[in-house]
Amino acid sequence: MDSLLEHLDRFSEVLAVSRTTHVSTWDPATVRRALQWAGYLRHIHRRFGRHARIRKALEQRLQNQWKQEGDSGPTPAPGLANFQALGHCDQLLSLQLLANPALGDASFHFLLQQLFPGPGVPDAEEEALQGSLARFARCRAAAHMLRFHAYRENPVLQKDSVMKTQAELLLRRLQEVGEAEAEGPGRLLSRLWERLPQSNFLKVVAAALLLPAASPRLQEEELGVGSPRTPGDGRQELLRWLLGKSDIAVAFCRNLPAELLTSVAGRHPELSPVYLGLLTNWGRQLHYDLPKGLWIGTEPQDVPWEELFSRFQSLCQAPPPLKDEVLTALKSYKAQDGDFEGNTSGNAMNKAYDWGKIFGKLHHTTFLCQKKECKEDEARKYKDDLQGTEAEI
Amino acid sequence: MAADSAGLPSNYEFWMQKLSVWTQASTLETQRDICLHLPQFQEFLRQMHETLKEMDSNTIIERFPTIYQLLAKSCWSPFILAYDESLKILIWCLCCLIKKDPQNSRESKLNSWTRRLLSHIVSTSRFDIKEVGLFNQVLGYAPTDYYPGLLKNMVLSLVSELRENRLNGFNSQRRMSPERVRSLSRICVPLVTLPDFEPLVEALLTYHGHEPQEVLWPEFFDAVNEAFLLKKISLPTSAILCLWLRHLPSLENTMLHLFEKLISSERNSLRRIECFMKESLLPEAAACHPAIFRVVDEIFRSALLETDGAPEVLAGIQVFTQCFVEALEKENKQLKFALKTYFPYASPSLVMVLLQHPKDIPQGLWHQSLKCISEMLKEVVEDYGSYGGPFESWFLFVHFGGWADITAEQLLMSEAEAEPPEALLWLLAFSCSPGAGHQQRAQIMVEVKTVLGHLTKLFRSPALSARDLQAAAEENQGGDPRPPACQQLVRRLLLYFLLWAPGGHAIAREVITLMAQTDAIMNEIIGLLDYTLYRWDHLCMEARRSRKLARELLTELREQASPRQVNQ
Repeated sequence: MDSLLEHLDRFSEVLAVSRTTHVSTWDPATVRRALQWAGYLRHIHRRFGRHARIRKALEQRLQNQWKQEGDSGPTPAPGLANFQALGHCDQLLSLQLLANPALGDASFHFLLQQLFPGPGVPDAEEEALQGSLARFARCRAAAHMLRFHAYRENPVLQKDSVMKTQAELLLRRLQEVGEAEAEGPGRLLSRLWERLPQSNFLKVVAAALLLPAASPRLQEEELGVGSPRTPGDGRQELLRWLLGKSDIAVAFCRNLPAELLTSVAGRHPELSPVYLGLLTNWGRQLHYDLPKGLWIGTEPQDVPWEELFSRFQSLCQAPPPLKDEVLTALKSYKAQDGDFEGNTSGNAMNKAYDWGKIFGKLHHTTFLCQKKECKEDEARKYKDDLQGTEAEI
Repeated sequence: MAADSAGLPSNYEFWMQKLSVWTQASTLETQRDICLHLPQFQEFLRQMHETLKEMDSNTIIERFPTIYQLLAKSCWSPFILAYDESLKILIWCLCCLIKKDPQNSRESKLNSWTRRLLSHIVSTSRFDIKEVGLFNQVLGYAPTDYYPGLLKNMVLSLVSELRENRLNGFNSQRRMSPERVRSLSRICVPLVTLPDFEPLVEALLTYHGHEPQEVLWPEFFDAVNEAFLLKKISLPTSAILCLWLRHLPSLENTMLHLFEKLISSERNSLRRIECFMKESLLPEAAACHPAIFRVVDEIFRSALLETDGAPEVLAGIQVFTQCFVEALEKENKQLKFALKTYFPYASPSLVMVLLQHPKDIPQGLWHQSLKCISEMLKEVVEDYGSYGGPFESWFLFVHFGGWADITAEQLLMSEAEAEPPEALLWLLAFSCSPGAGHQQRAQIMVEVKTVLGHLTKLFRSPALSARDLQAAAEENQGGDPRPPACQQLVRRLLLYFLLWAPGGHAIAREVITLMAQTDAIMNEIIGLLDYTLYRWDHLCMEARRSRKLARELLTELREQASPRQVNQ
């Protein structure tokens, strides 16, 4: 067992080196050895795929490496992500070597002979690698062809193929990391937050939260029999992290489109109080500008009325219980407003009064909007009317 | 090899020119042209590789100075890279160009250029989306983890868009425009053999838009059919049905493919033919839709006429019909389409009787069915009724070949003293010689009656000799010589006699040796034995002794006929 784990460590190093200029020192014999090691690990994968104990030990070891490559320092390069990756570790190694210009000509020539022996190869192993590399290249070419000629970005983000794939990978990774260590997912997510363009990452998070729960049988097929993982874990971790970091939650709710957030809140009830709370706060920032006859914010980064309105509208069109929750909240704000009615002394009071009024309007218009199933411009017209009435007071 | 490399230079020029045109601009015309030539181009690449691998890189450049351009242009077309094994063969060709030990800077440069090209086509990373690449990298996943999942998701999404068309009709916002569907079918042409694409191919085949004309590319149908015939794709019968209904040439190609198998140099056993037949999905498709049955039937008819009734074609028709009837029974207990749509040129009552499976009728009543069939056929044939001439009737009858053989067996096993029924004699005569005139047929009936008379007398006798049988089968001295069709019929009767008569087993081999004067007759007997066993299997007939004998004889005769091949 120990020697197996050692072997795994060595090979991971080899894999890491294969990406660097250090391969210029590799002679054909080294290449042969590296390929043999990869072949051995692939054999291990095939042999012990159903052997839970060994599989788990190997998995642990891989996750440990991942942990070591750690939070600080340069981005860890892709290596062996999980036990499944062992199944095509020779492919991984081959592709990296093929793409590395630093590999010497003689070694490269040798590599080609090993990888692409040509037609009519008697050795089943060699044929398998040749076939799988060709198939992978073909798969990649096919994906590109589809993308260029037939693909249309799906306006519904969570159904877009590229988004969906990224979301699936994210969840898979979270599960794997979570298995090895409890804080793993949180750390991973923080690292991703730091390193990736934020708006794209937030979209992926949203898409991940909206992925359909996979059927247990499908999960089993993908992860292999005997895997102890349950599908929901990754999502739970993700949500926990999101809600735990207030600045990220704010960015999440602020930057993503209203429809998307409504879907996420509908699917994950833990999010809705946070979202509603944020909307409430943003609403509080607005005040009524009498001369202009508009609700405006005091700071440039305040959420404008229109956006606030559209978000509430979207929430009110969600299926229950979300819809009911939102309407209840709005009603209660309106009631609070009612308490302050008539009291116009002091700025703070003014603000409170305005606040009630905002929500009164929102509740009114969204509620009416719902009843009439009217479009947004009609609602605005109604809102303008109300504002007009307000101005007279 | 010599022949190949002689043709190679001219081919080379041809393909070089083609590639130049193809890489100029990517218009619909060029894409169509590429798709049309994909299989031949792949063949050319294979030949190139065979030639290149024998040479070292300097010789290659001497022989083919523009080889680098050729390979580079090939690698620029995503259609070529996506097709079947072309990518793999291109890699092999490029490998031939890599020098292990470049001597000067020029060689070095060429080497690194080739390496870049190789790495490009294996990884095609220049098309990767940057954000996605970074994402995967930070996550720790390699392209090998990402691309299969992406492809699957893209295919699923396209499939659901195609299906949505069907469900929501005009009102769906997400409805795919016909141009997009068409362009999708174009992209699929090189990719039909990629297993990940199967759901998409199926969705396209079963896609029904609202346009009056066909929206999918004909090259797409051709590619799917080719892949299906070569077993490089597996599709459900419903999809294949759509394919054939929408694109007649595919159905015709499938039939041609079937004929190639039937009329191959190896004599195939009927079991094997049945296997081919079922794999081809033709009987199932024919059972689902009469249009397909009619086309298949028409092709069989033409083939039969062209080959003057070749036994292989006849066997094909009979096996097809057998499988077709089975599929029909499985499909629906009551027929979705009236019988008339399958057999428009025959009287429905005749078809009903013929369609009956003998095993569903008690053996004692077979006589009745045969009489019925005979009378109906006679009516049509002799009175030139509204159901076509003798050939049509005969063609219909031979579909259900089993009935003729049952007639022969029944006649053989009847009482020695009883008169064989005229109806059955007529049926037998008709089946072996449909074109015969009234007079001729009467003569055949008389001959058969005589032979039967002798045979039924000998049937029960325990000890027989080959001489006895020979005498029984002898022609009347002094009369007209028997027509060959009649000879065949007599041989058939003799064979059945040997299989069924208790005393026949001992003298079987001797008699057969006497009968098989020529190779043709030997083949005929082998075919007959094969067919009899096949028929008995479908009738679920016990007949252990007869079966055993038939099987033994078949094996022995096959050995004799072609000692090296034992065709099972």
